[in-house]
Amino acid sequence: MKLNRRIFTFATGVALALSASVSFAGEAMDRVMSSGTLKVATDANWAPQSFLNDENKMDGFDVDVAREVAKRLGVEVEFVTPSWDIITAGNWNGRWDLSVGSMTPTKSRAEVLSFPEVYYYTPASVAVHKDSAAQSVSDLDGKNVGASTASTFDLYLRKDLTIDAEGTPAFDYKITPGAIKSYKDGTAAMDDLRLGDGVRIDGMVGSLPAILAGIENNYPLRVLGDPVFYEPLSLAIDKGDTEFNDKLAGIVQEMRADGTLKTLSEKWYGIDYTTAIE
Amino acid sequence: MLFADTVVGDPAVHKPKIILIMVMVATVLFTLFGLNDTIFGEFMRPVIGEPKESGFFGNASIGLVMAIIVVINIVLIGFLPFRIQILIVWFELLLLFLTFFYSFGLNYQFIQSKIWFMITQGVFTTLYISAISIILASVLAIVGAIAKLSSNGFAFAIASFYTSFFRGLPLLMQVYLIYLGLPQLGYVIDAVPAGVMALTLCYGAYMTEIFRAGIQSINKGQWEASRSMGFGFGLTMRRIILPQAMPLIIPPTGNQFIAMLKDSSLVSVIGVWELMFLARTLGNKDFRHMEMLITAALIYWVLTVCLELVQSRIERHYRTASH
Repeated sequence: MKLNRRIFTFATGVALALSASVSFAGEAMDRVMSSGTLKVATDANWAPQSFLNDENKMDGFDVDVAREVAKRLGVEVEFVTPSWDIITAGNWNGRWDLSVGSMTPTKSRAEVLSFPEVYYYTPASVAVHKDSAAQSVSDLDGKNVGASTASTFDLYLRKDLTIDAEGTPAFDYKITPGAIKSYKDGTAAMDDLRLGDGVRIDGMVGSLPAILAGIENNYPLRVLGDPVFYEPLSLAIDKGDTEFNDKLAGIVQEMRADGTLKTLSEKWYGIDYTTAIE
Repeated sequence: MLFADTVVGDPAVHKPKIILIMVMVATVLFTLFGLNDTIFGEFMRPVIGEPKESGFFGNASIGLVMAIIVVINIVLIGFLPFRIQILIVWFELLLLFLTFFYSFGLNYQFIQSKIWFMITQGVFTTLYISAISIILASVLAIVGAIAKLSSNGFAFAIASFYTSFFRGLPLLMQVYLIYLGLPQLGYVIDAVPAGVMALTLCYGAYMTEIFRAGIQSINKGQWEASRSMGFGFGLTMRRIILPQAMPLIIPPTGNQFIAMLKDSSLVSVIGVWELMFLARTLGNKDFRHMEMLITAALIYWVLTVCLELVQSRIERHYRTASH
C-alpha cells in the first residue's frame, strides 16, 4: 500500500512538472492585444521568403511583412518555426496567432484555416537539370517529377489544385507525370535534381523565386517554359475570429495601397509580385 | 580480449599467406576503383605515362602500388604494442574521414561564421533537453520498475501497458502525438515541454526494463535476509538491492543516455531550435546544407565521445567497487 502511494506521488509530480507551461486558447485578437505580442509561425527553411540570416535572426520577405503587420497592430512580433505540415493542419490552439508563410488559400486548407487577405502572387514554374533535353513542360509527361509534399505544386501535379481566392488567374494542367516524388521542401527537390538529369528525378515544380535563387547559387538547373500557374499567397489565421480576420485584411490592403508591399517585394525578389499577373 | 589465455603466437597479419591474400584483394579492389584520373595517377606518371591514356595497365599498376603501401602499413602496425596500434589506426581512420570531407570542397569560412551560433543555441538546447529528459526518465524508470515487480495487479498492468506502448511506437510519432494530440484534450503544450515529454516517456519505458532486469538479477536470498532482519521495503531497496544492482544497471543506462542525445534531434520537427534544426536551416539561404550537416554531425560525435568517456569511467568505478 505504501508503495502504491509513492508511485502515485511520483506520477503526479512528473505530470505537474510537464504541464507547467500549459495555457488555454482564447480569442486571437484579445490575446494579441492583451499580451502585446503577435506570435507568427514561419518556416525557417525557405529563402528568400523566410530564413536565418547572417546574424542568425529570422529574415526574408514574409518576415518583413509580418514585422510590418505587427507594427501596424501596435504590438511586438515573435517568430516560431513549427514544420509546415503542422501549420497547415490548423487547430493551432493559440500556440501562435498568425501565419505569414506564403500560404496558398486552397479549398481544403480553407476548411481548417481562415485567409484574411492575399498579399502577393508568385509564379509556379517547372525546373529541369541544365543537361535535360526537355523543351516544353509537356516533355516531362511520364517522367519522375518532384515537389514539396502537401504543397500547391504537389497538388498541381496530382491535378487536384483548387485555389479559391479572388483574382486568381485561370490555369490548366500541362503535365502528366509518371511518378510524383514528394519532398520535405522545395530545396530538397532541387538537391535531388542537381545530381543530374534523371538521376533521381527528371524535373520539379516549385516557386519561381526559389528556383531562381538556387540557380544564382550555382545549382545546375534551368527554368522550363512559362510559369504553369500563379498562386495567390495569403496570411492565414485559425478559424473563428472574424474581428482579427477583418483587422488583418484591412492592414494588408493599407500596405498594398501605400506601396509598402511593393517596396518589400522589390527588395527581396527584384520584381513586384504584389499584383495579379495575367 | 577474446581469449584471456597466455598462448602467444605470431600476429595473423605477419603470416606470409595472409599477407599475400591481402595484397591480392587490395590490388583487385584498387584496380576496380580506377584511380587513373586521381592524384595517384599523377604520382605514377613516370611509370605509366599519361595517366588518362594508360587504361587498364595504369589502373592495375596504381592498384598494385597502393595495395603494397597499404599492406606494408598493416604489417608494420602489427609489430607495435596494443595501445600504440589503437592510436595509429584511430589516427589513420580519422585522416581518411577528414580527406573524405575535404574532397567535398566545403566552404570553411561559412562554417566558421555559423559554428558559434550552432554551439551557443543548438548544442545548448540539445544538451538541456536531453539532460532534463534523462533525469525525468530515470525517475520514471525506477517507479516503473518497482511497479513491474510489485504484486499489485493495477501497478503491474499500468507499468506493463506503459512500457509496451511507448516501446512499440516510433519516437517521432510520439513527438507528433504529444504535440498535436494533447491540445485536443484541452492542454496546449509548448514545443520544448512536448519534446521533453516524448523523450522522457519513450526512454523511461526502455529504462524501466533495464532497471527491472537489474533489480531482478539480485538473488532472492538478499530480500529474504533483509526481511528477516526487519528491514522494510524502502530500506531493503536503498541499502541492499540497488547498490548491488547498480553495476548491472549503469552500462546499459549509459547507452540510453548516448542514444537519447542523438534522438533529441527528432524534436526539431516541432520547431525547437536545437542542433539538428539549425543544421537544416542555417545553410538554407546560401544553399550550403553539406557544410552545416557535416558540422552538426561532428558536433554530435564529439558530444557522444565525451559521454562514452564518462560512461567508461563510471563502469570502471563500479567494476572495482564490486570486486
